[in-house]
Amino acid sequence: MICKQCQMENIEGALFCEECGAQLEAAGELKDNAVESSGAGPAMVFTSPGGGTLEIPAKDEVVIGREDPISEVFPDVDLTGLGGMENGVSRKHAVIHRSGADYTVEDMGSTNGTFINKKRIQPHVPQAIKPGDEVRFGKLAFSLKAA
Amino acid sequence: MKNELNIRCVMSKDALPVTGAEQAVYALVDIKALSNGHRGDMPANFGLVLDRSGSMDGEKMENLKEAAGYVVDHLNENDLVSVTVFDDQVETIIPNQPLKDRDEVKSRLGSVIPRGGTQISDGLKAGLAEAVKGFSRDRVNRILLLTDGQTWDDEAACLALADKAGRQGIAVTSIGIGEEWNEKLLLQLAERSHGDSHWIRNPIAILDTFRQEVEGMQSIAAVNLRVTARMSPGVRPVKAYATMPMISDVSTKTVNGQNITADLGSLDSRRGQTMLIEARVPSRKAGRFRLGQVEVTYDVPSRGVRGQSVKADLFVTFTDDAAAAAKVNAEVMNLVEKVSAFKLQTRALTEVEAGNIAAATQKLQSAATVLLNLGEDELAEAAENEILSLKRTGALTAAGTKKLEYGTRKLTLEMTKEMRS
Repeated sequence: MICKQCQMENIEGALFCEECGAQLEAAGELKDNAVESSGAGPAMVFTSPGGGTLEIPAKDEVVIGREDPISEVFPDVDLTGLGGMENGVSRKHAVIHRSGADYTVEDMGSTNGTFINKKRIQPHVPQAIKPGDEVRFGKLAFSLKAA
Repeated sequence: MKNELNIRCVMSKDALPVTGAEQAVYALVDIKALSNGHRGDMPANFGLVLDRSGSMDGEKMENLKEAAGYVVDHLNENDLVSVTVFDDQVETIIPNQPLKDRDEVKSRLGSVIPRGGTQISDGLKAGLAEAVKGFSRDRVNRILLLTDGQTWDDEAACLALADKAGRQGIAVTSIGIGEEWNEKLLLQLAERSHGDSHWIRNPIAILDTFRQEVEGMQSIAAVNLRVTARMSPGVRPVKAYATMPMISDVSTKTVNGQNITADLGSLDSRRGQTMLIEARVPSRKAGRFRLGQVEVTYDVPSRGVRGQSVKADLFVTFTDDAAAAAKVNAEVMNLVEKVSAFKLQTRALTEVEAGNIAAATQKLQSAATVLLNLGEDELAEAAENEILSLKRTGALTAAGTKKLEYGTRKLTLEMTKEMRS
């Protein structure tokens, strides 16, 4: 993209000339393309047998798994730091859904499964969870508490 | 329980043309405190580091004492305060302590007598040591440094102290009065410690600047603000700018391979923070493409919130529709233009320092044009005046340099016009 003002060649997509600051594209105006997120504070807390806690944000959908930038997987709750890899947590392991005050957990077809109170749940079938339940992702177990 | 912050990510374009080549894209990341956030309930740990050199005598010192008295009157009892005065010697007249006896602090301030030269690093070192004594992650930790003079060959020591303060979580707000001080140094002290910087031309404005600082500390909505942008494979972040309280190029500190990690200090609930990220996007076929994810983490100690996180994904669509790909978001465009003005004046000053007068003149001319486009007539005129000064004397004026340095950095602040008046 050549600057009409100073003839400097700028990279495609640049808005102003790097050399002289002149506007490069007399473009139409784009409105309302913002993506907003206020996330939400923790609504539920998972407590591990070791005493560690994991806050689950109060969103309608919370993906649990292991972050892997190479395959572009960025779960909302990353279990890597809690030994997710060693304990068989998949990158996209499970989703916690919220509907009002009710919560369900859905296994995303993980390799090592999701368990509620030691029972493996079927993949892609959301199951209700409540405070006091034990939820296990692979070998990583948590007990569930209200925040 | 609701979150305290909201992030809003706006791309320069929703649609990019399928070109077969890499292209530039800009993302504006706007961070605001939500109205449910508690403000002003974080106690302060505030260190005043004040120049008492001989040149401060008269109106400057009288106004400074009045302004320092305002600070003492308007901090809360659970705030910590320290006062360090310096010339070429240093004296800690109020060691770090809770603000219990306001009259005693004001009495000691009243007894300060101007004398000697200016050695900023000694004052800053002693002031920082006091602030460190009262440091807590649960407080707004800040130093306010005021000077009217050039320091004596200790710039490197000053910058090292600002780096140390920044690492510790203590922001340095630097204030220069008049024209005979080093704006480059004072701006860097602020940038390196996530602080602010002000130029005061008339001593009568010291009080107002101190008042703003106290109000700012009492409006902090979150601390330890960190913006992390994780880009998808092939997307290269190239530049990152923080724009509050002033435009600051944070690229070298923050851009690392495919990621940006920017520590931005505290969030003032009155103005928030806006980052501008410039990235290169690889060639793609038509379709939706995830550029990456922006995550903002922060603490609100007064509410027991640590490491809270808000995330948003960045997407663009590659398209063969030329009309759709030509549409640009006006808000992003405006911010990129302001950053462009800042970059041009910075490069003009660099060219002057290197003795390249012709190149500096060209950059100033370009800066003047951009500033006029932005409706910043006074700043454009200042740039024109400096072009004349370069022609006549081969140098910039002290006042003109300060006006451009501070004016273009603060283009993102509403108070810019007020500051220049």
